[in-house]
Amino acid sequence: MRTSGIGTRYAFYVAALALALVAVTLAASGAIALGRMRVLQKELRDAVTAARAADDERALDGAARYLGLHLFNPLYQLDVERLNEAIQQTQAWLPVVSFLVVDRDGLVLTDGTATNVMYGERAPGPLPGDGADPMLIRHDAVTELRFRVAAGGVSAGWGIVTLSEPPWEASLRRLEEERTAELWQGHRASLLSLGALVLFATLGVGLLVSLLLSRTLARPLTQMSRAAAQIAAGNLDHPLTLDSPDELGDLARALNRMAGELRAHEEALRAERSDLAAKNAELERFNYTVSHDLKTPLVTIRGFAGLAGGDLAAGRNDAVRKDLGRIVAAADKMHRLLDDLLELSRIGRVVHPPEDVALGGLVREGLELLKGRLEQRGIVVEVVPDLPIVRADRRRLLEVLQNLLENAAKFTGAQEHPKVEFGMRQDGDERVFFVRDNGQGIEPRFLERVFGLFEKLDPGGEGTGVGLALVRRIIEAHGGRVWAESAGLGRGATFCFTLASGGSGAAQAPEKQVQSVLAADSSGSSHPTA
Amino acid sequence: MSAAMEKRSTLRRASLLLLLLALLAPPASRSAPPAVVHFGVIAEEPNEPDRMFTVYSSFIAELRERLAPAGIGVGELVIARDLDDLSQRLVRGQVDFVLESVFPMLTLRERSRSLEPSLLVVRRGEREYRSVFFTRQESAIQKLEDLRGHTLVLQAMRSTSAFALPRAELARAGISLVAADEGAADRRSVRYVLALAEVNQAIWVLHGKGDAGAFNEGDWQALPEKVRTQLRVFARSRPIERGLIAFRSSLEPATRARLEEVMLALDRDEAGLQALTKAAGITRFERLTPVQRQAVLDWASVLMVSRGR
Repeated sequence: MRTSGIGTRYAFYVAALALALVAVTLAASGAIALGRMRVLQKELRDAVTAARAADDERALDGAARYLGLHLFNPLYQLDVERLNEAIQQTQAWLPVVSFLVVDRDGLVLTDGTATNVMYGERAPGPLPGDGADPMLIRHDAVTELRFRVAAGGVSAGWGIVTLSEPPWEASLRRLEEERTAELWQGHRASLLSLGALVLFATLGVGLLVSLLLSRTLARPLTQMSRAAAQIAAGNLDHPLTLDSPDELGDLARALNRMAGELRAHEEALRAERSDLAAKNAELERFNYTVSHDLKTPLVTIRGFAGLAGGDLAAGRNDAVRKDLGRIVAAADKMHRLLDDLLELSRIGRVVHPPEDVALGGLVREGLELLKGRLEQRGIVVEVVPDLPIVRADRRRLLEVLQNLLENAAKFTGAQEHPKVEFGMRQDGDERVFFVRDNGQGIEPRFLERVFGLFEKLDPGGEGTGVGLALVRRIIEAHGGRVWAESAGLGRGATFCFTLASGGSGAAQAPEKQVQSVLAADSSGSSHPTA
Repeated sequence: MSAAMEKRSTLRRASLLLLLLALLAPPASRSAPPAVVHFGVIAEEPNEPDRMFTVYSSFIAELRERLAPAGIGVGELVIARDLDDLSQRLVRGQVDFVLESVFPMLTLRERSRSLEPSLLVVRRGEREYRSVFFTRQESAIQKLEDLRGHTLVLQAMRSTSAFALPRAELARAGISLVAADEGAADRRSVRYVLALAEVNQAIWVLHGKGDAGAFNEGDWQALPEKVRTQLRVFARSRPIERGLIAFRSSLEPATRARLEEVMLALDRDEAGLQALTKAAGITRFERLTPVQRQAVLDWASVLMVSRGR
C-alpha cells in the first residue's frame, strides 16, 4: 500500500481525528474524575481530621486533668525535683515540646530542664481561671495545653504543655498520606490504563473505520487512476465497473465514454490505416501494372512503326498496311486500358448516395445486359428467389453483378452444360451473396490473385483484368467483403460477397416480387432468354 | 595471644592456685569465703528502688563479671529504706559492702559496729568537698550568726553536705539546729526544714519557705543559672571526704581483698569507667591511706556530736 496514497491520507486524517476526539474526551473525563477524587479525598481527610481532633481533644483533656492532679503535690510543696521528674515522665508518653510549671503568682517555677531558663518569668499567654476546664490551643504544628494544677478546689499553679504532633499521629498521617498516595497512584494507573485501552481500541477501530472509509472513497479513484493509466497505455478494453449515482460514478461513466470513443476512433484510424496501406499496395501494383501494361502496346507501336518505315522505304505496301494495323490495334488496347483505369479511379472519386435496391431486380438487370453472351454460349442462369432489398449505390452494385456474371460466363470453358447461379446463404450473422459457375475453376493459390488489377489467369483471354479489381473496390466501398472459392481447376468457381450489415449496403426485407429475370424452369433455375 | 586471652589464662591459673590452696587449707577456713557478696544502698527519699537499680546496674554487672573468675558472685543490689534498715542488714550479713558519704557511713558504722571504711570515692574528680550556705541576694544574712532565728532549708537528715556538715558548722559556731516543727524554737537557734532535693532547697529559699540553705559546692554549681543568680553564698564549711566504700568487718579477707582490687581497677578500662560514671558520677576508687582513714574516723566526733546537741 502506498503510504502517500489518498487512502492512506484519509486513513491518517480519520484516525487522527478519532484519536484527537478520544484524547479530548479522555482528558475531560480524567479532569472530572480527578477533580471529583480530590474533592472526595479532601472530604475524607477533613472528616478524619475532625474525628481525630475530637479524639485528640478528649485525650488531651484527660491528660491535662491527670497532670493537674499529678503535679499538685510536688508543686504545692515546691518540690522542683519531683516536678522535673514528672515532666520527664510525661515526655515518655506525650510528645512534649516544652513544659512549664507555673506557681500561684503566675511565674514559671520550672521548665523541667537542668538549666531552667524560664524560671521566674511571667507565664506567657492566658491561664485558665478557677474551676475552668483545660485550654486546648492549636497552633500550626503544635498544640498548647494549659491547665490548672489543683486538688480539692485548691490551686497550686498551672501547667503549660506544648505538644508536637505525636509520633503515632505523625505515623498515622504518614500512613494516610502514603495510603492516599498509593490509592491515588492506583487510581491514576487505572485511569491511565483505561485511557490507554480506550485509546488503543479507538485507534484500532478508528484505523479500521478510516481504512474502510478511505477504501470506499479511494477505491473508485484508484480504479479510475488505473483505468486512466490503462487508457494512457492504449489499453481501452477495461471499462470501469463503478456505477455509483454520485460524482465519482459520473466521472467513471465519462471515462468509459471517453475510452469507448477513443476505441472507436482508434478502430477507425486502424481501418483507415489498413485501407490506406491496402490502397498504397494497390497503388504500387497499379503503378507497376500501368507502367508494364501500358508499355507493352507502346513497345508494339514503336516496333511496328520502325518496321513500317523500312517496309515503306522498300515499297512493301502490304507489309506497311499490316504494320499500321498492328500499330492501331496496340493503340486501341492502350485506349481500353486507359478507359478501365479511368473507371477504376472513378469508383474512388464518384460516390452516389445509397438507396434501397431490390437485389433481385438488379440481378435481372445485369443478366439483361449480358443476355447476348449468355445465350450465345448457352449458359443456364439460376437466380435464387426472395433476394432482399439492400441499401447501396445502385449503379455500382449493378457493375459488381455485371462483372461477376460476365466473369462467370466468360470462364465456362469447355463445359458442355454451362451454368451460372446467383444465390444467397447465411453464415452466422452474415448474409453472403454469391455467383457460382461450373466452369474451369481456379487453382487455390490464385484465389486471391484474381482480384488484382490487370490480373488475368488466362493471358490470352479477353478483357483487361480490371473487372474483379473493380468488384473488390466497390464491395469494400460498401463495407463488405469479396472473395473467391474453388475446389480447383475444372471444378467451377464461386465468387462471394457481403454487404455491410447496417448503414450503406445493409440488407433489408426480402424482395418478394422478384423471382428471376430469366425464364425459370420447374427446378427454380432459369435460362437466359434468347 | 591477645591480652584478653592472656588475662583469661592468668585468671585460670590463679583460680587453679586458689583451688589448690583451698584444698590444702584447714576445713574451718575452707567454708568461710561467701559464694556471693551483696552491695547495699539506701533509697530513702524518694524511696524509688528502680532509680537505684538503674544507677548501679552497670556497676554491679562489672563487679559480677570481674569477680566471677575468682569464684566470687555478686548478688542483687540490696536497697534499704534508711540507715537503720541498712544497718540491720549489715548486722545480719545480708550486705557485705556499702557506698555512702562520710556522715551516713559513720552512722552505719556506729549502729552496726561491723563496718570498716576502706576505699575513698572520688566523685566528679573531687576527693573532698565543702558545704556552702546560701541565701537570697537581697537577704540581710551575711554570716552564720545571722541565721539565728531563721529557717535553714536542708536536704535530708542522712545527707553529709546538706545536713550533717552544715549542722556541724553551725555547732562549731555555737548555733543549735532544731527542726522547724519541734515546738517553739528560741530566737538563738536555727530552724530547719528538709526539702529532699538540692534544687528544692534553692527554690524554697527563693520562695520564702526558708531563709537560707546549705548543700555542697557541686550542687551549687549545678543550680540553674537563673536560680543561682538570685542567690548568694555567705558561708562555707571545712572540706570533707567525698564518699567511702566500707566493708562488713566479718567479710572474708580474701574476698574483701579481691573486691578492693577489682573496684580499684574499674577506672582503668572503658567499660569500668562507664559503669562508675553511671553510678552517681563516680570517677574512681582510691585506697584510703591510714591518715585519710583516721581523718574520716575523726569526723565522727564532729558529725555525731553535733547530732547529739
